[in-house]
Amino acid sequence: MSLPGDARQWMGHGVPADGPSVEDKGGNGVERVARTLAMGLATVGLVAAVAGCSSGVSGGGGQGNTGGNAAAGGTGSGQAVTITFLHWRGEDVPEFNKIIADFHKLHPDINVQMKVIPSDQYIAQAQADLTGPNGADVFTSFPGAEFSAMEKAGLYTDLTNQPFVKDYNPNLIQAGQDNGKQLAIPYQVVFNMPVYNANLFKQLNLQIPTDWNGFLQLCQTLKDKGYTPIVFAGKVSAGQFFNDMVMNNVPDPKVFTGLLDGSSKLTDPGFLKTFQRLSELAKNGYFQKGPLGTSQDAATALFAEGKAGMLALGSYQMAPVNTDNNSAFPMGLLAPITTDSASQAKYQGIDTTTFMLGVNANSPHKQQAEAFISYLSQPQVAAEYANATDQMVTVQGVKYTNPTLQAMEPMLSKPLRFHPMYTLTNQQVVDAVTNAVEDVISGMDALAAAEKGQKAIDQALQQP
Amino acid sequence: MRAKPSIYLFLVPGGLVFLIFFVVPTLYGLSLSFTNWDGLSPQFQFVGLANYANLLTNDSAFHTAIGNTLKFVLTVVVVQSFLSLVFAIFLLKNTRVNVFLRTLYFFPTILASVSVAFIWMFIYDPNIGILNSLLGDVGLSHWQASWLGNRHMAIYCIAVTEIWAHTGQLLVIYLAGLQQIPRELYEVAVLEGASRWQTFRKVTWPLLVPATTMVVAYTTIQSFRMFDLIFAMTDGGPGNSTEVLATYIYHQAFQYNHVGYASAVSMLFMVIIALITMAQFGLLRIRSPKSA
Repeated sequence: MSLPGDARQWMGHGVPADGPSVEDKGGNGVERVARTLAMGLATVGLVAAVAGCSSGVSGGGGQGNTGGNAAAGGTGSGQAVTITFLHWRGEDVPEFNKIIADFHKLHPDINVQMKVIPSDQYIAQAQADLTGPNGADVFTSFPGAEFSAMEKAGLYTDLTNQPFVKDYNPNLIQAGQDNGKQLAIPYQVVFNMPVYNANLFKQLNLQIPTDWNGFLQLCQTLKDKGYTPIVFAGKVSAGQFFNDMVMNNVPDPKVFTGLLDGSSKLTDPGFLKTFQRLSELAKNGYFQKGPLGTSQDAATALFAEGKAGMLALGSYQMAPVNTDNNSAFPMGLLAPITTDSASQAKYQGIDTTTFMLGVNANSPHKQQAEAFISYLSQPQVAAEYANATDQMVTVQGVKYTNPTLQAMEPMLSKPLRFHPMYTLTNQQVVDAVTNAVEDVISGMDALAAAEKGQKAIDQALQQP
Repeated sequence: MRAKPSIYLFLVPGGLVFLIFFVVPTLYGLSLSFTNWDGLSPQFQFVGLANYANLLTNDSAFHTAIGNTLKFVLTVVVVQSFLSLVFAIFLLKNTRVNVFLRTLYFFPTILASVSVAFIWMFIYDPNIGILNSLLGDVGLSHWQASWLGNRHMAIYCIAVTEIWAHTGQLLVIYLAGLQQIPRELYEVAVLEGASRWQTFRKVTWPLLVPATTMVVAYTTIQSFRMFDLIFAMTDGGPGNSTEVLATYIYHQAFQYNHVGYASAVSMLFMVIIALITMAQFGLLRIRSPKSA
């Protein structure tokens, strides 16, 4: 066996350049090779150890998009510190890059590096990131089950006494509170209601319905005129649209959250009525062909073509529609009112406060992380973000100049209900409800779907 | 001649790799399977065999996942093995066309799973997908369907995607097996007046058993571990209709924060795969001419 000279040198052995002999002073060939192997392993181990020690600051790569103006940071005196900002809004990266650049001008000693994980993988991957040795310093989370899991794990720093909390509308940041502590700051206000094509509604002289019959008539008119009444985006719509359908059928939030302790059942009248009305929409052909096999992007593209009346997602999807159709038509928001008369309807829509900003309890750079959130909390910064991304924010005193947001603003004065599914703090229960909705849409009898869903909930609640 | 003790040092690198990357994680997973750890909190409790008991007696989603896994594995193993054998037989001769076709069939293997998933999601899309458009164009619009949105069809549609992606890879194994069969045996068969079918049944097939063992075992294990395509295409839906064991473990561990429970599923999963693989090897060894 003969090794190249460089390799021998790397292994740290004074092996003659012409290769080892079978017998020499160092012992026989087998022993020599064994020693060489042992040294090699030791070297590899050492290299690995050194590499492990030098992987301090998160590089941000790997998952999803990265951005920001990060520079190599350090923690020593006089050196810049790099903090990582973890979120799921890939479409907001260009705007965040601008905001981060401006923040860096004010705080030259703090670099912010973004790490973006797509929203459908966020829950799983963010938790792994945050519990790791180099977890993000500032992170976002969804309200409900994810917030609850992270809170139980002690991942949030208490922000209650931070001055920037006063910059927010106190009614819109409750989703980030637990036991009187402000653990996270919801940054966005989202309306989880179907988006409608305002041009088409005007053209067909359609009015916003105020009861269930009105909604059915609206759908039938759209269908008769050759338009798809409601574009449904598979699992995403199943989880979203259910909120609008259930809000007035189960108006008491405590009854809804009763699913978590077994005091309410999916087979109870309010839930069953909701499934029956969903079934009615499906059986009447008010969804597009293959609603459960349509991806969110495909659904958005279908709606953007102008051949559908409503898109069963939410206000957050207006910006992608505008991108797809080059802002070809204005849009509005409407929730199906499932009561027999308008006066019976307690709510007219669903809202959510989400994109909840938190500081990792394990972060070594908490002050810098809080400084970044404080900067995002300034009304002019929040306004810049909102108007550039079509997202309403929870910060007070923000002036919306974006026409899409201006169209949404009246919704804030309407009786809205907080996203019921986000009040369920057990993700298995959320999935059981979503699966029941999918079963109904795919043609299963409403009662059978409710019973199947309830069985899944019962099993989830009994799980060790 | 007795080997010197130092020779056992040769086992150290491989042994270390096996120990670090298989034995330790397996034992760690086994220990977690007796706990209720959520994957986030520093504290957790020992729950004994409660996770296993619940899995076997009170978890219909787990039972559905086993059923879906078996549907998927059976479809993929049977169809993929059959197609790769047929293609290998037809593409055995080294003509230019055959070499081109082998390359073409192998091509999907080098694609990333997520790319494959997105290609097929586009094909299957009920409104803008190629498949429904083609069916409409050839007058079969009554066959148009919501391929991935149908609870009864979705798992088989994903199986078709998996078969498309990996048949070319297994074709190579069969080609290697076919090329090892001595030509003299075929010449004797011709002299004896054997038909093509008889030649295949009495000469080709028995001598392909080692290759078949490899193909079936590999396909079985790969199909059992199927995660990426399903995760990207349906994430287990609609309902639980495409939930398989691998996605079930993922959902339990990372979406529901039941790492202890997911570890128990993983342990059962490992035992199932080991038993099936051993049974397969045993069955195919009996049929192998070398073992006679």
